[in-house]
Parts: sequence; structure tokens; C-alpha cells
Amino acid sequence: MIPFWRGILALLVAAGGQLLLSRYLPAAARTVDLYTVLVLYYAVTRRRVAVMVMGTAAGLTEDLLAGTVLGVNAFKKTLVGYVMGTLGTYFMLNQPLPRFGVLFLATILEALTGAGLALVLGQHAVLPSMGDLVRLGMGNGVAGIIAYWMASKME
Amino acid sequence: MAMNKSFPERRPLFLLVLILSSLLVLMSYQVRTRRGNTLLEDSLLNASAPLVKGASGSVGFVTGFWRGYVDLRGARKENRTLRSEMGAFEELGRRGEEYRRENLRLRDLLDLKASLETPSLAAEVLALGTSSQARTALINRGSKDGVRRDMPVVSRKGVVGRVISAGAGISKVQLLIDPNSGVAGLLQRTRGQGMVVGLGDRGCRMEYVSELEDVEVGDVVVTSSLDRIYPKGVTVGVVSSVTEGDQLTKNILIRPEVDFRHLEEVLVLLKGPDPAATLEPSR
Repeated sequence: MIPFWRGILALLVAAGGQLLLSRYLPAAARTVDLYTVLVLYYAVTRRRVAVMVMGTAAGLTEDLLAGTVLGVNAFKKTLVGYVMGTLGTYFMLNQPLPRFGVLFLATILEALTGAGLALVLGQHAVLPSMGDLVRLGMGNGVAGIIAYWMASKME
Repeated sequence: MAMNKSFPERRPLFLLVLILSSLLVLMSYQVRTRRGNTLLEDSLLNASAPLVKGASGSVGFVTGFWRGYVDLRGARKENRTLRSEMGAFEELGRRGEEYRRENLRLRDLLDLKASLETPSLAAEVLALGTSSQARTALINRGSKDGVRRDMPVVSRKGVVGRVISAGAGISKVQLLIDPNSGVAGLLQRTRGQGMVVGLGDRGCRMEYVSELEDVEVGDVVVTSSLDRIYPKGVTVGVVSSVTEGDQLTKNILIRPEVDFRHLEEVLVLLKGPDPAATLEPSR
């Protein structure tokens, strides 16, 4: 399967999973962001251009499905994907622990980027509480490690 | 070192900037400000404000400049027209003033004519001869108008001279101040008599006045008609200086009343010399 369609498929899976989570397990949906997990997977395994494309696509999809301002999540995920992709060129991120760390860090960075973006757009910037951030970071980290293990098995 | 990176190496960064910028624009298009505009509209408005102001200012400047130029051209043209009209009006005014003055002179002449018992003819001075030897004037009346040699010529102020030659339509007048002219004069106050001869620009001199005669500066000299040319009583001039002369006579200088440098209209007395003819002096 060519990378493009693989990416589309991965995006559909992430979007479907997030929708299902938010519908049937809302509490779990608040601690896991499958779009971020997907983008971060690209960040540690693909080149930066591919990461950015995936970040934009995933973010726009999330915006469309979540009904937020179109581009907000795309902006965050593209930026975070780029930064993490750049970091990935300097560090070995093929082990679960570093990947967990990257996912955790990316979650924090995404939250901060969201707050900054809200300020830039003249909106009320609401920074998630530290507990929520930690929970989301850990959720993403765990989900990411599982997802990456599954993906590595499929590739 | 980072400056030396090639474009392919920088491509991800450019792409990132491009994507983020596009997303910002996309978001700006959706987010509304407190004024109800989208952020994009506000941003574009704010960004374009200096440009619009500059353009508006430039257009205003150019328009103002152009209007100023057009106005200036209009004003210039108008100015030229007004100057031309003003020149014409000035000329009209000058001509009017000229007519007014001429009218006054002619009125004076008419008054004089009415006061004369002798028939007279108004004439215009065409030219004044100012050679050192002769003081003459050309007038626009001649023999066909009845002008003859030795006819006296006067003005409102007094004696001008006498006709010394008459052509068909033009005559030559020997002025009172001509060195060869002679007029029988009479001191109005004392009735002392003498001969008034011309001295050119210096006026006239009264000769043959006895040293016993009471003559004062300011005395008026009129014609006595003894020369059989001028009627009696026409003003000749005013005594300007009196000194003792030789041979028992006084040396009397007379300032003529007529301004011979500004002579324009005169009266020619048509009747020949008549000792009986008298005039009321003009002063």
C-alpha cells in the first residue's frame, strides 16, 4: 500500500477511534487524543514533511468532527509534529520509554500552543489544569506505546 | 552555518511556515472580533489602513496639486484677461480724463468767446515751433476759415500771439514770447504804457517805461491796442522783476500768463485790428 493511502487509512482509524471513545467512553476520550498519537507516530517514524502533512490533515479532521474553529487543532498538531519530528532527528526514539516521553512532552506542548493560539486569535485562553495535562499526557503516552507496538507489528 | 543550508534542507521549515500561515488565515476567517468582523477582515483592515491612508493621502495630494494647478492656470488666464481689461479701462479712463480736461478748456474758451465783442474762431494747436530764434505755433485754421495775417490769437489766460501767415487750412502764429514779436502793453494799475517784446523761454520784457513810472512786481500788464493788432485789455502777463535801466527807462521783466509749453486750444479774433475794440481782462 502506498504511503498516502496508508496515511489516509491511519487517519480514518484515529478519527473513528476518537469518535467512538468520545461517544462511548467520554472520560477516556478526555485522557487520550488519538490524533496526537497518530501525528507523533509519524514524527518518530517519518520525515518532517510527512509529519506536517499528517499533522495538518489530522488536525483539520479533528476540527471538522469536533466542531471547533477550523484550523486550531491543525495548527497545534502541525507545529507539535514538526518540533517533535525535529527532535526525533537528534534522539533515538524507537524505544517505548523515549516515545512515552515524547508523547507526554508533545501533549504539554500542544496544550501550551493551544493557549497561545487562543490569545493570538483574541479568544479566551483557557489552559488545562496541571492534573488534566498530566492525565492527558500519560494517556497519550500509554495509547501511543500500544498503538506504535501494533503498528510495528503490522508493518 | 545555518545560513548556508540549501533550499531542500530548509524546505520543511518553509512548508511549516506556509502551512501555519494558511491555517492562521483560515482561523482568522472564522473567528469574529467584538466589532462583529472576522479576524481576517480586521487584520486586513488594520494592515491595509496605512496603505489606504497613504493612497488616499497621495490621491488627495495629487488631486489637490492638480486642482491647484488647474486653478492656477485658470487664475493665470483670468489674471491675464483682467489685466487686459484693466488696461482697456485705464485707457478709457485716461481718454475720459482727456475729454474732461479738453471739455474744461473748451468751456473756458467758450466763456472767453462769449465775453469777446470781436467775432472769434476756435482753433487747435497742431505744433509748437521751439527753435532758438522763433517761437511759433501752427493752428488748424486757415484762410478758408477767414483767418488772415496779423489777426490776434488769444486764450483764456491772455495773449498768445498773432497770425503771421495763413494757408488754406493752417496758419502760423507768432507767439508772444517770440523775440521778434511786439505788443503794445499797458500797466493795468498805473496805466503806464510800453512795448512788450519776447525773450523766448525767459518770458517777455516791457520796454520804454519811464523810470518815473510806479511799477511793482505783480502788476498786471494788458494790451493797449496801440499796435492796432490786439484789442485793448487782453492780459499779457505779470511783472516779475523791475530794475533800473539805462536811458531813463525801467527794465521790466514780465511772466506771461499763457503757458506756451502747454498750448492746445486758442481763439483767433477774426476782426482786424480795431483800436476801439476792448476786452474785459481775464484776471
